Amino acid sequence: MSGLEILEPGIQATVQDPTGRPGMLRQGFFPSGAMDYFALQAANLLVGNPREAAGIEVTLGGFAMRLQGDATIAVCGAEGQVTLDGEPLPPWSSRRAGAGAELRIAISPGPGFRFYVAVSGAIDVPELFGSRATYTMGGLGGYQGRALTAGDELPVGTGASDGRARRLPDAARPAYGREWEIEVMRGPQATPDYLTERDMEEFLSRSWAVDRNSDRTGVRLESHRFEWARKSGGVAGGHPSNILDNPYPVGAVNINGDLPVLLGPDGPTAGGFIVAATVVRGALWKLGQLRPIGDHVRFREVTLEESIALERELSARLTDDALEPAG
Amino acid sequence: MSATPSSVLERAQAAGGHPAITYRQAGDRSLLIEYGEMELDLTLNFFVLAVDAALSERPVDGLLESAPGFRSMLVRYDPRVVSPAELVEHLARLHDSLPAEQEIEIPSRVIELPIAFDDSQSRAAVERYIRSIRKDAPNCEGANNIDYIVRYNGFNDREEFYAAVLATEHWTGFIGFFPGLPFMFPVDPRHTVVAPKYNPTRTWTAEGAVGLGGPCYAIYPVESAGGYQLFGRSLPVYDLQARNEVFRENPLLLRPGDRVRFRRTTEEELLSAFEDVRADRYRYRIEEHAFDVGAYLELREQVREEADERRRRREEASAEAEIP
Repeated sequence: MSGLEILEPGIQATVQDPTGRPGMLRQGFFPSGAMDYFALQAANLLVGNPREAAGIEVTLGGFAMRLQGDATIAVCGAEGQVTLDGEPLPPWSSRRAGAGAELRIAISPGPGFRFYVAVSGAIDVPELFGSRATYTMGGLGGYQGRALTAGDELPVGTGASDGRARRLPDAARPAYGREWEIEVMRGPQATPDYLTERDMEEFLSRSWAVDRNSDRTGVRLESHRFEWARKSGGVAGGHPSNILDNPYPVGAVNINGDLPVLLGPDGPTAGGFIVAATVVRGALWKLGQLRPIGDHVRFREVTLEESIALERELSARLTDDALEPAG
Repeated sequence: MSATPSSVLERAQAAGGHPAITYRQAGDRSLLIEYGEMELDLTLNFFVLAVDAALSERPVDGLLESAPGFRSMLVRYDPRVVSPAELVEHLARLHDSLPAEQEIEIPSRVIELPIAFDDSQSRAAVERYIRSIRKDAPNCEGANNIDYIVRYNGFNDREEFYAAVLATEHWTGFIGFFPGLPFMFPVDPRHTVVAPKYNPTRTWTAEGAVGLGGPCYAIYPVESAGGYQLFGRSLPVYDLQARNEVFRENPLLLRPGDRVRFRRTTEEELLSAFEDVRADRYRYRIEEHAFDVGAYLELREQVREEADERRRRREEASAEAEIP
């Protein structure tokens, strides 16, 4: 077993796997896991890891690490300058590196907000409830239950990589931008009981600015005065966004008073606010790439059939056959 | 293909001792099932827990998990295996097979926990809030939240509030927000206490702090942010490291259907018990007692007048109180 050393963590770097630990809602655990699971799955595929293996989620950049053994490395996600021992490492591609090699990720100018680093053999921290993901809100999982700091040494498993440099073709990479369209399904608490038709039209047609106070627990948008189908929250509280506390789905568009918040993988499992819409599984990865300050979001309502097709299409992009040799 | 114009998939009227049921879509992987109306009626939670137990005994292919709320349940499923319509149908059959509310018996435990009222850590949390977040919050006047709870509910003094907390068992309706956090409600409606939540929320709360938000009590499982009014401190209810034997099978002390009975203690005694929990010297007092919903409904009927009178007194006082 070899390892890697964190030299600079940037604003937040955590060990994550793509799926986290779903199935523990009744005990109060949101699943955690990579916010942009697609980019981490792609990075894993490029270095020859199982798609669900653990890697490092880097927020914004300003990150550096040093390999302690030979490994194949790939970085996927936000746009920005990535170097391996000073040589540019093209995005969405892999390369072999020797012991002592330094990977550096500069601050991303955007679009996109998070990078995913995969190392052949994968990050080998202990599993907790079936996952290696860090749950920042619960302070558990990953490396000592916390974000990485300079000097941390992460264990890396023995890799099965053949060491070949590969790339994911452009056509298989998702489009990043500053204006995002996010697919949602209405509800659970929308029209007709909680929001008016006009509220829903406004919700779906507006371009929502992403607020600076956004993290893995939730992406905040901007305040908006809805009409509301109810005058007050009744026994649950004065504001019509209040309901008796209930469980939330991952990807909930939670309306806290007048403020919509997209619940991320480390969010609260339950609470007393309505959920106007829910981001469908095939679009959830976008939450990880929304850049606070500057990015805007529009919601597009889809059917269940469309959402299943969306996820299937996304997943089909990541096969060994899809990869090309990199020059 | 046009999108569903409503988030409601189906509604069923109240019938046969069962509450009305609303099936809502919650994205492409979950349904949220709501029971009855938006009322603070514990019988709705009893029904939720009965449905949850029945569903774990008779699951359906494609069901991934269920999570109870106060009067609702989130059901996560794989839409490639089971359609929402099939899931609704399965749940409807399950609902029909349940006994009427008053005949439900729920597996339950009574757990006794010490509580130190007005402890130094809760006061420190309030002081920190005043210093760093909001100076003029009406719920933090006097650098504590207790006097606000007393005012908001029309209690004569702190002792009257403490007596209400100690006089009843507290029903764990569900676990959520945060790993291991119990949402608890007084079983005896005469002892309902209500308080608005913090605005904005607090960034620090001690582990084991006991708070009140709306009509609901919570024990904070770890040091964390929070929005409930703090009034005391109890023992750990969650320990991933299982430093006490009570956490060895499950890092969560409480589960839905459990009842907590608080026993008053001094802060000194509490802190020493806290250490004993960590050192595995403390033994939590836990007794198994199935909960008889029929008996609960009888008690609720007997005390209805007194509970209504106290509610009126509370509402008069609340109307005068400033909201955070």
